[in-house]
Amino acid sequence: MNEILLNNEVIVYLLSETVLYLLLFIAFLSTAAILRRWNFDAFTSEQFTLENRSYLVMTIIFFVMMLKMLLLPYFIYTIDTLSDLIPGAMCGAGVIKANRYGNPLLTLKIVVLFLSGLWLSLNTIDLKAKNYPYIRVKSWLFMVIFLLLSAEYLLDLLYFTHIETTNPVSCCSVIFGQSGGANGLPLGLDIPKLLILFYLLFALTVLTIMTDFTVVSMFASLLFLIVSYYAVVYFFGTYIYELPTHKCPFCMLQDHYYYVGYLLWGFLLLGTFYALDSAVMQLFFNRSSKKLKRISLLFLSLFVLLCSTYVAVYYMKNGVLL
Amino acid sequence: MVTLENVHKIYNEGTPQAFDALRSIDLHIDRGETVILSGVSGSGKSTLLSLIAALDKPSSGKIVVNGELISKLPDLHASAYRARQIGVVFQHFNLLEDLNVEENVIVPLVHAGLPLATILQMAQKSMRSAAIEHKAGQPVNRLSGGEKQRCAIARALVHDPELILCDEPTANLDRANSLKFIAMLEMLHGMGKTMIVATHDPLFEALSFVSRVIHMEDGEIVNSEQQ
Repeated sequence: MNEILLNNEVIVYLLSETVLYLLLFIAFLSTAAILRRWNFDAFTSEQFTLENRSYLVMTIIFFVMMLKMLLLPYFIYTIDTLSDLIPGAMCGAGVIKANRYGNPLLTLKIVVLFLSGLWLSLNTIDLKAKNYPYIRVKSWLFMVIFLLLSAEYLLDLLYFTHIETTNPVSCCSVIFGQSGGANGLPLGLDIPKLLILFYLLFALTVLTIMTDFTVVSMFASLLFLIVSYYAVVYFFGTYIYELPTHKCPFCMLQDHYYYVGYLLWGFLLLGTFYALDSAVMQLFFNRSSKKLKRISLLFLSLFVLLCSTYVAVYYMKNGVLL
Repeated sequence: MVTLENVHKIYNEGTPQAFDALRSIDLHIDRGETVILSGVSGSGKSTLLSLIAALDKPSSGKIVVNGELISKLPDLHASAYRARQIGVVFQHFNLLEDLNVEENVIVPLVHAGLPLATILQMAQKSMRSAAIEHKAGQPVNRLSGGEKQRCAIARALVHDPELILCDEPTANLDRANSLKFIAMLEMLHGMGKTMIVATHDPLFEALSFVSRVIHMEDGEIVNSEQQ
């Protein structure tokens, strides 16, 4: 058997994913029945059964989605631990590139995370009402999420069963191109332009969230997420590693760097999610939530503060920048 | 005040053990009415009360209380509905034995978000109405059956509900305490409360303040006598 599949973290991860997928499959069947037969105005036995069942099903989905959110950092941790088994891999970057399923899987996980969060918000406002006003919308959203989760589960299986422990993979130095002196930044950006864009987009995101420019805030926060990824990998990360040539989004998740990557990426993902969530709730469900906006601003500010602190501390300690 | 339309309740629905607890119940109770539900054990009285209290949901049919469609209330709202509009007196009192009378009476107000002074004031008023004020600090496990029932009444009244439901309230009381309980119901009737009492105690049969006696049998209303 593949050595990867005997790894403790992989066994726990795949077993958890399987159990959660089975639960979601049961929820999927019930949700399909709800979508087909739901009629809140009816007082029939069938409708009462659906109402009772919907509560149970939504509770199952809620429970599974919360666990799936916790499984994302565990997945990252798992691939990071696999770097010990795969020749050439120094961190998760090499492991994720060990086959063609890794990158689509990670991307899909982040998309599903955002959609699941949206479903949880919708579920919260639906449960606050007495007549299940969003039951159809959230059921359709769940169907879409379930299809993506099915693809994710399949990719999970394909990914972990197709990692070869005999073939060497590239390490992050090669993947992120600095050993050859190549600039991995898109659109011809260089570091100064990237940093200007980073701080300007942060300011734009904060301003549009605070001033209720909902559509703009959605695009600004999404753009900020993408630019932040490059800014962390190509600039701020080098201050975390204290090495100008070390450009990697994964090494900062390791104990040498006090697992700060979990905090950094966690702040960014949560901040972006809450910004998008508050915008979607306002645009499509006419529900303005100051609480969601405040949480978003808090996480995004903590992210920018944490990134900037590494640069400032390095400068104060050494009197120069990298 | 309370309207039931074609209400059915089947326990263990869809299984070989399916049991029709209520069949085609149509009932309307006006505000301020006191209605007695009579019938032998298993006739569906308690099930009917639990549906009106939103403790359970019907298998089909419509239940409206005070303009609110309660047969379809999600669980979260059912609790709020009970806390706001319903007072329930149970056969076995359902008191918290480790707490004293006043603490038991306060229980329904714990999540009301009211200031403590207001809560204590409401509890005092309620205990006075139920004639149990003098035992406020007494642990419930040291009360007699009649006193426990008065404590249960005080708890049912503390949030000033419009609808009071009593499920076999005198089943564990002697005749003297049962008569005291009935006197208390008469007082509540005078306060304009709507009351539904499920009982097979003959003491309730010819009371002047009772507007109707509804007889139930095998989950059906077989007779409704205007008093």
